[in-house]
Amino acid sequence: MSAWTGGRRRDAQSSQQDDSVSPAPGNQLGYWLVRLACPSQLLSTGPSRWSHCRKRGIDGNLRTNREAEGSDRENSRHTESSYRHSDNRHASFTTPESAGPVPRCGRRADWGSQVEDDEMRRDVQRDMQRYRRRILGAEVTQRERKTSSGSSGSCDSREGENMETDDAVLLRRQKQINYGKNTLAYDRYIKEIPKHVRQPGVHPKTPNKFRKYSRRSWDQQIKLWKVKLHAWDPPKLDCQDKVLNNIEELGLDDVMDIELDFPTLTDPQDAPAPPTTLCLSLEGDGCLGTPIKMQKTETTAEPDAV
Amino acid sequence: MENSTEDYRIQSFDLDTQVLLKTALKDPSAVNLEKVSSIIVDHSLKDQVFSKEAGRICYTIVQAEVKQSNGNVFRRSLLNRLQQEFKGREETRGRSLQEWVCLVTFICNIFDYLKVNNMPMAALVHPVYDCLMRLAQPDALMNEEEVDCLVLQLHRIGEQLEKVNGQRMDELFFLVRDGFLLQEGLTSMARLLLLEMLEFRAGGWLLSKTAHTYYYSEIAD
Repeated sequence: MSAWTGGRRRDAQSSQQDDSVSPAPGNQLGYWLVRLACPSQLLSTGPSRWSHCRKRGIDGNLRTNREAEGSDRENSRHTESSYRHSDNRHASFTTPESAGPVPRCGRRADWGSQVEDDEMRRDVQRDMQRYRRRILGAEVTQRERKTSSGSSGSCDSREGENMETDDAVLLRRQKQINYGKNTLAYDRYIKEIPKHVRQPGVHPKTPNKFRKYSRRSWDQQIKLWKVKLHAWDPPKLDCQDKVLNNIEELGLDDVMDIELDFPTLTDPQDAPAPPTTLCLSLEGDGCLGTPIKMQKTETTAEPDAV
Repeated sequence: MENSTEDYRIQSFDLDTQVLLKTALKDPSAVNLEKVSSIIVDHSLKDQVFSKEAGRICYTIVQAEVKQSNGNVFRRSLLNRLQQEFKGREETRGRSLQEWVCLVTFICNIFDYLKVNNMPMAALVHPVYDCLMRLAQPDALMNEEEVDCLVLQLHRIGEQLEKVNGQRMDELFFLVRDGFLLQEGLTSMARLLLLEMLEFRAGGWLLSKTAHTYYYSEIAD
């Protein structure tokens, strides 16, 4: 008898799993939430201004002259994963998701992606444990120092209480960080500027995902970080055509984004090249090489600082 | 850890493919890893011996790719191809029992060898259970090939599977007990294998010495 029920149970389970491939009708909401959450990634369907020097495409493949192929594959996978609606809504009633971008934040159905998400989640948890240990260690020594010298500790000692522990937030942040680190510019940066040489305010510093920040503040930090990393873009000759392509892709909203960001800057040294220089260097030609851009950044920033 | 290529049982491939696989093991970026993964899957589905050990070569290629470029193209395409095969498993079983047994063996072997931070890949837990549950259905228990496969897989990964999801292991063993006890027409060999499996799990995934003697004395003599 239990063979029968067991069999039924199995069927129920496996069909449940198959269902998970196609999103529930309620996914519509999820799609819009995602759009609201990371608009810059989603509103532009073409390669963004960051993508031309990305090491790997969304499918994890190294991007060696396979841009077109890669995006084709992505589209086909997208239609494959059956974004169908179970009810009989008119097509115009629904958001045309198959043409849209792949939601990055949601649970993905293919095993490869699931395992990658799983891996990232575990990495984040491991990082968190390490970070906690480090903070606790710092707190203990600080307390010792306080008792011995009587001096007041810095507000850093309260870090343990200000820690971001929400898994979903950490995972989202990690994805954003990975996105920035998955660039040739980042590779060049860490090679050229070893950790001990880096100066706060001058060199890009990965935002600390374990600190409590508002969503807005965090996204802003990520954006500034990526703008700064951009200075290490390779001066590749063979990427000229891509750069030219990207100028067309570089929508107005991208530039607007940067301009809108500026008023919130407090430390002028933090400022990357002003939008005008950035546009010039992109439009002028992509092969001038980034060290020049970096110099521009510094020369424009320094007079302000003095 | 110096692994000679014999360890990977790639002698059964044609020469060109052997060269390709050897390169994939040493210098993964030099080859098309998607192609390599599909070659390995294809071969596993045909060659029962290879399907039992294919996880090892996959593990090594995954490691090599991570070390070389921190990439996971191979793992991704391997898993996604495997997922396709998994989706078509019922057709495969209808077409060729041997291929179906190879598929189960291969998935289980991948589950055994490829880990994420030393933990089993969560994405494979339910699929592996689905395969084993299928092998424990009455119609499958009638084929000694399938019983043999079920028992072999449980010997290898039963303990790990139970750790990650004990409830489904319980469900699987309802089927195994029913099969052993109630099903008519089972060969005595199939019953023997099922009984051994029941004792094996009951003993905490170990066979007591006397049980071992009972089940394996014939082979030893």
